Amino acid sequence: MKKIIEKALAKGAERCEVFYLNSLETEVEYEASKLKNLSNTEETGFALRLVKDGRMGYATTTKADGLDRLVDDAIATSACGETAEFAFASASDVAGAKLVDDRIKALSIEEMMQRSEDAIAKVLDYEGEINAESGTKRRIQTTSVTTSEGFESTQERTLYQFYVGGRLIEGDNMLDAGGYYGGTSMDDGGSKLVDEAIEDFRNGRTNVNVTGGPTTVILTPRAVADVMLTMNYGVDGSIVERGISPLAGKLGETIFDERVSLYDDGLMESGYSTALFDDEGVPMQRTALIENGVLRSFLTDLRTAAKLDLPLTGNGLKLKRLIQTKELGKMPTTEITNWEMTGGETPYAELLAGVSDGVIVDSIMGIMMGNLVAGDFSGNVAFGLKVEGGKIVGRVKDTMIAGNIYKLLKDQLVDLSSEVTRVGLMGFIGSHHYPHLLLRDVSISSKG
Amino acid sequence: MKDRLEQVLKKFSSQCDYLEVHIEETEESRVQFTGEQLTDLGKKVDFGGNVRALNKGGWGFASFNSVDRIEEFAQHAIDQAKLVGKDRSQLADVEPVRDDVPLDLKSDPREVPLERKVEIFRAYNKQVLDHHEEIASSSVRYFDRFHKRWFGSSEGAMVYQERVDLGGVVAAMTARDGDSQSFWSGFGSTDDFGVALGLEGKITEACDVAVEKLDAPKVKGGEYTVILDPRLAGVFVHEAFGHLSEGDNVYEDKNLQKVMVLGREFGRPFLNVYDTGLDKGLRGHVVYDDEGVRTEKTYLITDGKLSGRLHSRETAGKMGERPTGSARCIDYRYPPVCRMRNTCIEAGDSSFDDMIAGTKLGIYAITASGGQTNGEMFTFTAGTAFMIRDGKLAERVRDVTLTGNVFKTLKDIDMLGDDLSIHDGPGGCGKAGQFPLPVSDGSPHIRIQNVVIGGE
Repeated sequence: MKKIIEKALAKGAERCEVFYLNSLETEVEYEASKLKNLSNTEETGFALRLVKDGRMGYATTTKADGLDRLVDDAIATSACGETAEFAFASASDVAGAKLVDDRIKALSIEEMMQRSEDAIAKVLDYEGEINAESGTKRRIQTTSVTTSEGFESTQERTLYQFYVGGRLIEGDNMLDAGGYYGGTSMDDGGSKLVDEAIEDFRNGRTNVNVTGGPTTVILTPRAVADVMLTMNYGVDGSIVERGISPLAGKLGETIFDERVSLYDDGLMESGYSTALFDDEGVPMQRTALIENGVLRSFLTDLRTAAKLDLPLTGNGLKLKRLIQTKELGKMPTTEITNWEMTGGETPYAELLAGVSDGVIVDSIMGIMMGNLVAGDFSGNVAFGLKVEGGKIVGRVKDTMIAGNIYKLLKDQLVDLSSEVTRVGLMGFIGSHHYPHLLLRDVSISSKG
Repeated sequence: MKDRLEQVLKKFSSQCDYLEVHIEETEESRVQFTGEQLTDLGKKVDFGGNVRALNKGGWGFASFNSVDRIEEFAQHAIDQAKLVGKDRSQLADVEPVRDDVPLDLKSDPREVPLERKVEIFRAYNKQVLDHHEEIASSSVRYFDRFHKRWFGSSEGAMVYQERVDLGGVVAAMTARDGDSQSFWSGFGSTDDFGVALGLEGKITEACDVAVEKLDAPKVKGGEYTVILDPRLAGVFVHEAFGHLSEGDNVYEDKNLQKVMVLGREFGRPFLNVYDTGLDKGLRGHVVYDDEGVRTEKTYLITDGKLSGRLHSRETAGKMGERPTGSARCIDYRYPPVCRMRNTCIEAGDSSFDDMIAGTKLGIYAITASGGQTNGEMFTFTAGTAFMIRDGKLAERVRDVTLTGNVFKTLKDIDMLGDDLSIHDGPGGCGKAGQFPLPVSDGSPHIRIQNVVIGGE
């Protein structure tokens, strides 16, 4: 890293930052109820940001013998780059850090296979016709940030992911169910994910019709995570800066029902996005976004914080917005870490028992295509259940849900469950904790 | 590089049923403006490879950046394949190809200096920001990539392919009283930087739509007759049908095989759907897929009936069908899986005017901001839309998200336009953690009955 900095400075850079990534990943995949694939991924790469003549340049490489080219590319881009208006991380007390679960490090392929096999056996034990799948993945990742201002830090993280699920086809009827866990530790809740998937298979085998119109809806924690994807934009400092966040200028104002509190927690116990510092070397933290309905903060990276004169929150990350990709390429920008919404006072069972006529929405397909910035969401209810007299009566299909998060959590919130459940969305960033939300007058459209 | 691949194959091939080696080098340039800011200007060099081994039906896969350690990774992949394999390997036979595929470009993005690219997109960005007082922000994104891919297999295949891929989008975001809307114009190509030039007219149109959307009321949810423009209909066929025709969804699932039996009626007799890698210049253009199989045009629906699927060598082998050259990966970090290329609905004989005139109450939905499917049900969102009332286009409406069911909705297509057009954008298709894979799609205008639209 030092060598890259020396080369960059020698070529005229005034200051620079080197990001280094090394990761080793092992994955076991079961498809059609059988072991299908074992894979290993080794990744090494460097990203260089530098300032030359006051302008920012940026380049990346995964070629270990391509470091001269890396420096040349970064210098070349700086010639037409943006004026650099922020400082890279400077000397700090976060020097070396470990976020390591030794159980993940010691996990053998045989054990990974066993975990998936046990889960699949349980699914098949419920129903042999299910086309079951499961995967176990572990990653050991080292990242470091080194700057010409004397900041130098390396952190090692272990990541563990597990999923189990399947598809049950009966006639032309397809039913998918499954659960996913991703975290920096191995605490996946044991067999809970399998039990939940089996319960979904059990509840989803009978189809029932639903009438469209304003409907009482329970969003499960998984569906809350879906609709909260819209909020990621609202609290993003760079969206605020551009004047298109509906929350711009509203710090300190009441934007939600006073029972709503929401945190971005980069230090969450075993969270998938948990780390000690972000990809710009800024310490990660727990940031109150909404407290008792009041908007408290926006999330920032180095550039946005400087531009908006806001505090640093440690959200400068290189992962692509929302979607985890195995890629080094992107500049660090504001991204969420792990989110937590605090629960209410009513146990979920009571919440459900009180619904005389409504729909439980457990997952929504197509949420990413809506006008997320405005908080609008609209999508197909990929898994939803009809409730009558406090009891689940069957699955609803070919049904749409639509709404706006800023109305939903302000005017339509009836109650929050006291239980708060950890969910992760496969392929998306972070581990999130959400309660069940009981909502009134949610618009549902259906073939009926 | 070929010699290196041959060496590895020679040394390790005898240890498993089938072995393949990929090496890939990519050079990328990116320009991105977000509002006033040049938020990303970068260059990337990505060099890496993978080894994939098949033994007794089980796969082992290792990807790496440390190409100098390729033999170590080859051994890993083979050891793992042995651990997985308990059955028998079934790959459909293909003639092992030895070929070089050089670039054949109309206009090479690599010859355009980075400064010039920044200038072009800065001008588009300024055009957006200056267009109207209610335009609050912009997003202008451009990338070009130059790929070199080497592929060799234990069956004797050795293919070297060069490929250029470029794309971008110019988007306008409008804001008024806490509400915000957007509209955009996108482009993409595998042989012509020219598609990034002269977009001023399209950008003006996009800005106007973004402003007009602020005034548009939300659509009322319910069931409608819907006319899709060719862009949206392209996304429709990709989501509604393309994914379900991918062989890897079907080959291990006996219940799905019963549902997806060749010859089953999916649409009315005038419906024909194909997927092709043959159309040069499109982002879905492929010469050889990532198993070294030559691409082709594959009919998925012929005269309304299921007539084919998109196969890898394994899914074709196991189902006793023909490989279609559809095994693709986004890069060396991933194994190839069954994917689409350029997926199209063939033209019919209706005129757009007749479709509108024959619709009493409906929605004309234009372009897509994306789509998704879970196999049976699918959903996609229109970029913008108009109501159709009494056979005429009426007011603009917003937030039009449609849903359908593959077993019902294709049969509800009752009119096909005579105006097939094919489109490329900067995005791509996501599957099995691999996103975005460059694909194209095309269609004429189509009319569908009984489509559920979400909304209040």
